Amino acid sequence: MWSERAADGRTRVTALIRLNVALLLREPGPIASRLLMPLVMMSVLAPLYRDAFSSSGVQAGSRQVVAGMLVMFSLLALSIVGSAVLTERMWRTWDRQRATSAAAWELLLGKAVPACVVLLAQQVLVLAFGAVALGLDVPNVGLVGLVVAVWVFTLLCLGTALGAFARSHSELAVFYDLGGITLTVLGGALLPISMMPGWLRAVAPVSPGYWAMQALRAALAGQLGPMTQAVCVLLALALVAGVLASLRITRGWSRSRLM
Amino acid sequence: MAEEALAATDLVKSYRDRRFGDVLALDRFSLTAVCGEIVGLVGANGAGKTTFVETVAGLIRPDSGSVRILGIDMLRAPRMARRRLGFAPQEHAMYVSATVRENLDVFGGLAGLRNFALRDAVAEISEEMKLTGLMDRPLGWLSGGQWRRAQVATAMLGRPGLLLLDEPTAGADPPTRQAMLAAVRARAADGAAIVYTTHYLPELTDLGATLAVVKDGRVIARGDQQDLLAGLPGEVRARFDGPVPASLRNQGRLDGEELVMNSTDPGQTLASLLAAGHTPESVDIRRPSLDDLYRSLDTASGHVV
Repeated sequence: MWSERAADGRTRVTALIRLNVALLLREPGPIASRLLMPLVMMSVLAPLYRDAFSSSGVQAGSRQVVAGMLVMFSLLALSIVGSAVLTERMWRTWDRQRATSAAAWELLLGKAVPACVVLLAQQVLVLAFGAVALGLDVPNVGLVGLVVAVWVFTLLCLGTALGAFARSHSELAVFYDLGGITLTVLGGALLPISMMPGWLRAVAPVSPGYWAMQALRAALAGQLGPMTQAVCVLLALALVAGVLASLRITRGWSRSRLM
Repeated sequence: MAEEALAATDLVKSYRDRRFGDVLALDRFSLTAVCGEIVGLVGANGAGKTTFVETVAGLIRPDSGSVRILGIDMLRAPRMARRRLGFAPQEHAMYVSATVRENLDVFGGLAGLRNFALRDAVAEISEEMKLTGLMDRPLGWLSGGQWRRAQVATAMLGRPGLLLLDEPTAGADPPTRQAMLAAVRARAADGAAIVYTTHYLPELTDLGATLAVVKDGRVIARGDQQDLLAGLPGEVRARFDGPVPASLRNQGRLDGEELVMNSTDPGQTLASLLAAGHTPESVDIRRPSLDDLYRSLDTASGHVV
């Protein structure tokens, strides 16, 4: 009985993953741009950052540019997750799925796995490019891997929540354009926090990007304490966003929740 | 006695709307259907049909009342209940950029079908719904009728015990409608109960469906078509050689050169015309239809369940 249910669950999740992979691959433009753009930006900005951070050591500039672009473009990659969720709502396919015996977590898993692979690929590509092309030193791959995994999980939860609450693609685009850029800047991805005015430094911790930057910088420098603290904040943010998204998705949407 | 596939009892659902005030969408809505039965759910727009269907599908939680699907309580064990359910909503609800095959595969997978069972079920339903030549086309390329067929096909995968089809033939051409009705009849013959909402009342006659007439969020009439039509007046249209005799004009209404009389007993009506010395040149008798039933109930204030 239990094994039959588990097999049914696997069948449902596999069917959803297969479909979502097919849908992602049918429109490869956004994925390709999210994967390639950070590499281009890193190549352009690396010399500038190295010069600007030369007084802080050889690795400081590389760390800033790699961590910064990784956070910036992963925040922009939120659009992949959020759009996928919102598109399901616009197509009314969420309701079709909810009317099956699939559990809410199965539906989310089927949606999240392909997006997770894209986000992980992006992070690994940025880090690998940083190490190979920009000479970034990664002393502890395990720590960096842990931060990347937590950050990807946080992004999935944030993206799902945005997709669950937005009422249209244009509303979602505003979240990404304004929210993504604001959080990137606030997070210190473009300009180190230490160079910001006082009031910006004070509000910077509201950005998930800030904590991602802190965690990545600490992981790259092998500093376990600061990294753990930042990872805990990211997990808390993920938890809040994930719970809100799950509640919203489980409850469903009335017809007026789309524009 | 056939097993009860659906038992919805005293469902109440109201919506709060700041702009338009509270709306009572379901007002002690009750409906049962047994296995093999096709229930035609008819009613005006906004009567509560779709809210009812979505409540049975588990998409809307009622304020009170209960829904049992093949004996399983939808509110207490929703996933188990949904396992026995197929649902095709009124609006288009499939993956636009995916092909027909991909749509069938994913909804088959969600119904728990895999490997050979999935392949066979997809092949069978695509044949039945005349989709075989369209399988590798994206949904976005299909016509409205083809889309409808594909959507109903996704709901029928896995042979659920209860099928909820919300206006499945809206906007469909005659061949699409025929294919759909044949598939619905076949599912009912296999033992599935089907709740079928529509505004095309002749379809329900074709399907031999029992009727549930919905008004203001509740079922106001329920039963066999013949039972519900019994006692309703049909029409007798009489044409005379020349104008309608003046002495008959108060027996009905005039429609051009014809006298139109509502009658529950056309034979008696004709006999009384002849007895009065008026022999019509031609007579056209129209039996009461579902449209008449619908109109009579729509204007009635009381409940006739």
